[in-house]
Amino acid sequence: MSISAELPPRPVPRPSLFAGLGAFGRALGATSAGRFIAIALLIAVLAFLSVYPLSMLLYGSLHSTPPGVAGEFNLDGYADVFTWQSFVTLANTVGISLAKTIPSLMLAILLAWILARTDTPMRGTLEVLVTLPFFIPPILTAMAWGMLGNPQVGLINQVYQWITGSTAPLINVYSYGGVVWHMMQYSVPFLFLLIVDAFRAMDPGLEEAARMCGASRWRTFRTVTLQLMMPALTGAAILSFVRGIENFESPLFFGSPAGIRVITTDIYDSINQRSPPQYQYATAISFVILVLLLLVVLAQWRMLKGRSFTTVTGKGYSPAVMKLGKWRWFTFALCMLFFVVTVVLPVGQLLIGSFFQFFGFYQWDMLTLDHYRAVFSSGEFWRGFRNTMLLGLVGATLTMLLGGIVAYVSVRTRWRGRMLIDGMAWLPWMMPGIVLGVGFLWGFALLPHAIPIYGTLWALLLAYISLGTPLSVRVMTSAYAQLSYDLEECSRVHGANWLQTMWRIMIALAWPAFAVGWVLLFFGIMRELSASVLLYSVGSEVLSVVLMKLWANGNAEQVSVIGMIMMVMVLVIRWIQLRLIKTRIGAL
Amino acid sequence: MSNVTLEKVSRSFGDFVAVDSVDLRVEEGEFVTLLGPSGCGKTTTLRMVAGLEQNTGGRISIGNEVVSDAASKFVVPSERRRLGMVFQSYAIWPHMTVFENVAYPLRVRRRPNAEVQDLVMRALRLVEMERFAERPAPALSGGQQQRVAIARALVFEPKVLLLDEPLSNLDAKLRLQMGDEFRSIQKRLGMTSLYVTHDQSEAMALSDRVVVMDRGRIQQIGAPEEIYRRPVNRTVAAFFGTPNLLDASVESCRRIAGGRIQLDVAGQGWRGPCDAAAELTPGQSVTVMVRPEDARIAGPDAVRGEHELQWTGRIAHTIFRGPTRSVFVDTEGGRINVDAPAFGNYAIGDNVNVLVPQSAAWAVIGHKEAA
Ligand SMILES: Nc1ncnc2c1ncn2[C@@H]1O[C@H](COP(=O)(O)OP(=O)(O)O)[C@@H](O)[C@H]1O
Ligand SMILES: [Mg+2]
Repeated sequence: MSISAELPPRPVPRPSLFAGLGAFGRALGATSAGRFIAIALLIAVLAFLSVYPLSMLLYGSLHSTPPGVAGEFNLDGYADVFTWQSFVTLANTVGISLAKTIPSLMLAILLAWILARTDTPMRGTLEVLVTLPFFIPPILTAMAWGMLGNPQVGLINQVYQWITGSTAPLINVYSYGGVVWHMMQYSVPFLFLLIVDAFRAMDPGLEEAARMCGASRWRTFRTVTLQLMMPALTGAAILSFVRGIENFESPLFFGSPAGIRVITTDIYDSINQRSPPQYQYATAISFVILVLLLLVVLAQWRMLKGRSFTTVTGKGYSPAVMKLGKWRWFTFALCMLFFVVTVVLPVGQLLIGSFFQFFGFYQWDMLTLDHYRAVFSSGEFWRGFRNTMLLGLVGATLTMLLGGIVAYVSVRTRWRGRMLIDGMAWLPWMMPGIVLGVGFLWGFALLPHAIPIYGTLWALLLAYISLGTPLSVRVMTSAYAQLSYDLEECSRVHGANWLQTMWRIMIALAWPAFAVGWVLLFFGIMRELSASVLLYSVGSEVLSVVLMKLWANGNAEQVSVIGMIMMVMVLVIRWIQLRLIKTRIGAL
Repeated sequence: MSNVTLEKVSRSFGDFVAVDSVDLRVEEGEFVTLLGPSGCGKTTTLRMVAGLEQNTGGRISIGNEVVSDAASKFVVPSERRRLGMVFQSYAIWPHMTVFENVAYPLRVRRRPNAEVQDLVMRALRLVEMERFAERPAPALSGGQQQRVAIARALVFEPKVLLLDEPLSNLDAKLRLQMGDEFRSIQKRLGMTSLYVTHDQSEAMALSDRVVVMDRGRIQQIGAPEEIYRRPVNRTVAAFFGTPNLLDASVESCRRIAGGRIQLDVAGQGWRGPCDAAAELTPGQSVTVMVRPEDARIAGPDAVRGEHELQWTGRIAHTIFRGPTRSVFVDTEGGRINVDAPAFGNYAIGDNVNVLVPQSAAWAVIGHKEAA
């Protein structure tokens, strides 16, 4: 028997391109010197993206003057942090995040249960609808809710006063309630996405066994379903809590006008709203928030250690869903209501706002297309649009490539130093955008003049890559974990060199994960505000910054127009994402 | 009173009929097994008895009390049917200890703590798991999980026990042992049991009666010996073991002593008498089932005895199986598989005779094509 006859066909060699690159790849991957260079390179890149801004924060918090100005080292920044005022800010931050996490979790559990375990009609569509708010840039809904819930001219209050004849406003979004409410619109779909698969994948036998033991539906839910979900729920809740602490848009739009301060807005204000800017205070309190987040993450780590239940079975059928009878229309209505409130209302407000002459005055003779004309002929809009698109395309691609390489090194190789690489890539996970922004602000300002990053698009690009790397590493890690080693070894045994192997694995097999991650990062860049607002300068504004500026000038009409344009982009991308990579959305 | 009665019970998923008009009565204390190939509707039937699946037709009663009637849309929910159930995946709750798993049905019934303690330990002793009471459930092997699942199903002394392929996730040796253990517990407690499996040897070893199902329909109900010896049709015949199925046609038919029916049949290159379940008319096509263990190999010059059937052919190949050797003989009527002594002297190409006592040949109606 001839062995060679049994082999699958060799990958077609492409001599011209691969010979050169292949030799390079072999040199990098196979020789120990090459491996050393590759690791050193990777460590240098990651260090610049995460360790560098972090150490610049530390430096800044200990240095009396702004970047580039001669000064001395002291602890004044930390002295300012340990004041009553800062304590209130800290309590606000934690309190608001708790206040939004708990109801969001309950709502997310309800939605996940409805959409994964009951026979509610049109569950597939509903799932797309209730997760949509997560993909809308928060700055858009913030501005829309600013218009809807404005105590004087907000649409909701106008309608309410028109119906009841009352003169008092129904709601005021510039309040604690407003901040919490706006955060919830993101927390609920975020938590939903994190927990729904756990609901879906659970072996229905575990619940049925309880029923057979005599337990009622409710008792089964309480003592079995919920208990089994507990590790997943705790993990998701803690993540949501962390994001609540990191949140910038909600407290900026609804807290600051009402005098409610949280750490992120405090950092922003001390740099942007005070004269002279309080850099030392900003960096010192940035460190405090980092320590806070580190504690939370450590607590989570301890809590969840060894507490994850494998409840998934390989059974072919989708778990038996609960028959709700007439109640399924109620659950359907509940999901629709959530969609209407979180998407239709704010988007509708933007739509209406974009067509009327003046915000707040909705009469037929005030209809106009002027705002669209103004926006489309505005150089600033087009510059922001170009910058956002450019940064989105390039940033998402580079971040995914970096994440792909880091994940590859940490899961697929035994290289020494891979733990360090993994750790450094994970570091920005804990850093709120605004904190990373401050770190880079210092970091770029201190670079030699020969490296002109400060105030350019490069500054934003590097910050976005840094912010996105943890996500891209996570997505690619789970993708590699699912690929069998055989594929890779088989490819190499059959004569493909390291680079060809990488290429085939990356492109042919891991591309769905790559695409999922890419789209998420693109969304992330499109919505990013907190780091951008610190790092932009004239000429490098992105759309979210353009919106901020217009909003600050009171131009709600043009804000609405740009909001509508961004909304259309969101819908198009989301649609493509759902079409192309339907099944992978849980990989988030 | 803990019998289970199914009357014309059906279940369809859309247009697909998974269970088709099943009639079955399980008597008190009886161990009945639903047996059939994967996908034939066994699990669905069991789940309808449990109330986890709704029957779209027919009526189910437990202990003479109707629990589900499709016509009047009457349903008693699972938790009020007082049934014990063992799932294929065991469904042991990983967030509880062994003790808490077994105690769950009692806690649901709000039994006092002392009694719970007592009953749980008794149930665990029954399955020899009392040493593991405080173990967290995920730290159990498959066999141990299975014991816990049985203890949990037994602990509240249900009227009826339902088991869905409880042994299929165990390795072969453990499967035999657990099966025997379970059967002895069941006999001791006198518990009515409805058991689902696709494994014929398991079904035969454990059951009082076996229900053979295929494509949602009951093919035959009977004691294991009867089903093995006297299948009613080709499907049932082919399902047990690896019988030789030989096409033939009826030459004559007569009733003999003891109400048995004997046929004279003729196949390609052979003829002789055999038994059948029903009277058939001459000329009808039948399949004659001959089990390998009933046949023997004789030399080329052998003459058949008075009550034997005979085929002449040559050995095509042999397979050593340990206790026996499978010898395949090509005859005019087709290839015949014979369980011969393991260390007999059989060479490929030898001319031999295959001899079978006529009482071991059993005819069912129809040919291979028709099945
Ligand atoms: N929920 C369901 N939806 C659609 N078809 C089903 C469902 N459950 C079972 N079936 C079908 O019913 C048939 C019987 O299934 P089942 O009772 O599980 O078979 P068995 O237990 O004998 O292997 C199978 O063909 C299966 O495809
Ligand atoms: Mg089954």
